[in-house]
Amino acid sequence: MSGVVIYLPPGVGDHGEEPDGGVTLRLGAGETARFGRGSATTPVELRLIDAAISRLAGEIRVTEDHWQLSNHSTTQSYLVENPEGAGEYLRVPPRRAGAPIPFEFSRVVLPTRRDTTVAFQVFAPDHLYMDPDAVGGHRGTRTVTAYSLDETAIYFLVLVALCEPRLRDESPLAVPTTPQIVERLRAHPACARLTARAVSSHIDYLAEEKMRISAPDEYGPARGGRRNGKRESIVGLALRFGLVREEHLTLLPPRTGGGHGVHTGRHLG
Amino acid sequence: MVSIPADTSDDDRTDVLPPGYRLGRWEVTGQIGSGGWATVYAGRPVDGTDAGEGEEVALKILPTAGLGPSQARKVADTARREVELGRRTGHPRLIRLLESLVLSDPRYPLLDGAIVLVMERAADSLRTLLAAGVSEDEAAGLFTGICEGLAHLHRSGWVHGDLKPDNVLVMADGSVRLSDFGLATELTGTHGTHGYAPPMGTLDYLPPERWKAPLGEHGVKVRPSADIWALGIMIHEAFAHGAAPFPGATPAARGAAVQEYAEGRAPLRLSGELPPFWRELAADCLAPTHAERGAHTAESLLARINGRPDGTASAAGAAIRRRRWLVRSTVLAAAGCGAAAAIWSYALPGNAHDHPAAVGSTGSASQSAGSIRVFNIEQSCRQRNDRSPQCSLGLAIDPLQPYTIDNVVPTRVWHGDVLPVDCRLPKGIPIIDEAGTESAQWFRVRLPEGSRRTTAWLPAVRTQDRPAVPECPRPTPLR
Repeated sequence: MSGVVIYLPPGVGDHGEEPDGGVTLRLGAGETARFGRGSATTPVELRLIDAAISRLAGEIRVTEDHWQLSNHSTTQSYLVENPEGAGEYLRVPPRRAGAPIPFEFSRVVLPTRRDTTVAFQVFAPDHLYMDPDAVGGHRGTRTVTAYSLDETAIYFLVLVALCEPRLRDESPLAVPTTPQIVERLRAHPACARLTARAVSSHIDYLAEEKMRISAPDEYGPARGGRRNGKRESIVGLALRFGLVREEHLTLLPPRTGGGHGVHTGRHLG
Repeated sequence: MVSIPADTSDDDRTDVLPPGYRLGRWEVTGQIGSGGWATVYAGRPVDGTDAGEGEEVALKILPTAGLGPSQARKVADTARREVELGRRTGHPRLIRLLESLVLSDPRYPLLDGAIVLVMERAADSLRTLLAAGVSEDEAAGLFTGICEGLAHLHRSGWVHGDLKPDNVLVMADGSVRLSDFGLATELTGTHGTHGYAPPMGTLDYLPPERWKAPLGEHGVKVRPSADIWALGIMIHEAFAHGAAPFPGATPAARGAAVQEYAEGRAPLRLSGELPPFWRELAADCLAPTHAERGAHTAESLLARINGRPDGTASAAGAAIRRRRWLVRSTVLAAAGCGAAAAIWSYALPGNAHDHPAAVGSTGSASQSAGSIRVFNIEQSCRQRNDRSPQCSLGLAIDPLQPYTIDNVVPTRVWHGDVLPVDCRLPKGIPIIDEAGTESAQWFRVRLPEGSRRTTAWLPAVRTQDRPAVPECPRPTPLR
């Protein structure tokens, strides 16, 4: 239970000394953050710079393993989109207090006067998933894996792709590179537009929020750079502790032969 | 794992062994339950082998067939921990591992190759006992046993890692056995302060630091203080009808409440049902940080339980036997004296000051040395104030004579009554209350004006007060 992470992309928030960077805010269980244009008399934790947004536009409260959104606007509805949900979204009407948000990944969208919108992201990595053998439901009295991963999320596909060579006993050492993962997942319907940058973000999210990987010593340059050390740690731990198993290989799109996967759709004769 | 009722629906992922099935020197008599990775059967030694005389055993079967290599490794690792711990740290408070073997039978493809752990058979788990409700003294006996087992484990350099009522077994004689060492971890580190365990556990029993623990090459860091936290949760459950100390409808909600508490944003709100001694003990076990919890070891907690006020530190079995005996005798006393109940019927708890005789500071011939509040161990009686005869308590005429129906004054008292007290008698006839608490101490209390006698004797088990009053002169025998 580490709460939620809120990320204001560059250009949306007031980020003071970091003109080009976004703003990241971490909230623990029971904590709240207000968002809006803010003022001296209406302080907010997340400042959104758009004239159409009220001084106190809304509030985020971390509760249990999810979060709640209160809409302080008297006229505007806010949308909460699930960027991985194929169009799944919630509308939070004006003056709604504490609407529970069920998505692990959310994009909160506020309307502006222009044709554009202001949006920020909220991650809720604490979502709990039952172990596959927990058939009798989840009562808090069963022994379970303390790290739960959404096996339908893109980060999980990235994780399986990272682990694939070792699961298939092809290469005990090599962990796929980011371009290799982009290529490997391209045929998956959810990953057609997956970028290298997104893959890197998913890997960071897995390492920092989901698996909370320690052992920074292994990230030394002698091991081929920080990023590779992190990948190797993720793969090693996911396999060692059974977070990714052989049966998960079926989640990946079929391989297109020979491990090179370039010559598809050709019929001879 | 053992206490989960058997799933009777057809599950195509498991084979079920029929009664009479032989496993080495043992034969299956029936299924006890099945959990995450294991199914537990009852068994007994096959006649004519040297396996022991008719002793019932539990056969814990961990299948590996049909699992991928990494899952099979996990199961084997679980079994290895159990065997290793059983081999190296035997103790009367740890479930005894008799043997481990591998099931080899192609007729049961899903069980072929399964690891079988043969263990002594328990009668119950703490989980089922808690569901039925335990008295304070039964709980004291159980937690004494749990702390003895934990103290031994920790002394031997192990952390249990998955302590919960399902893994505390109770034998037919009432004695406690800790079980399920699948996540037990041997302490390493330079000073043997911590070990590393697989990132698994039972959500409602995880200490706050575990929710954020980083995952390293060997797993997550585990320290003995994790078992102490789980012990605190169990103490709360035992006295609060199974309720967890942290609010929330789901394990995730309760986990978030644990975080809020540990980060200082919410206080610890223990149930009012916990008696003061256990409340303090649970609060110490549930100290928010590992460092603060470190001050309380299984050993120091055990010493406190043994030395608790009026604690007899008896084994649970003995407590239960004595309880039966005493319930009978107090019921007799109550029935014989119900007619006198009207005398104090208007001196309700809380307004004792309105009644001159009940306080003794106004109007009495002489000043009493202090006052004492009556305590009824039966919780249902503490919750009512209708002064029903069933909830009335007796006062003795002579504290040196057996506490029987003809040694009781007609005046009855109820939970919450405040009585003027003159002095105390450290050694009268010993009295055991309904929960098995024993004390030979008595207090001489004043009776209201109009009673046939001016004083009578209240057994110390009937109050939680220990007023600073002088010792009584030894009463002259009446008969």
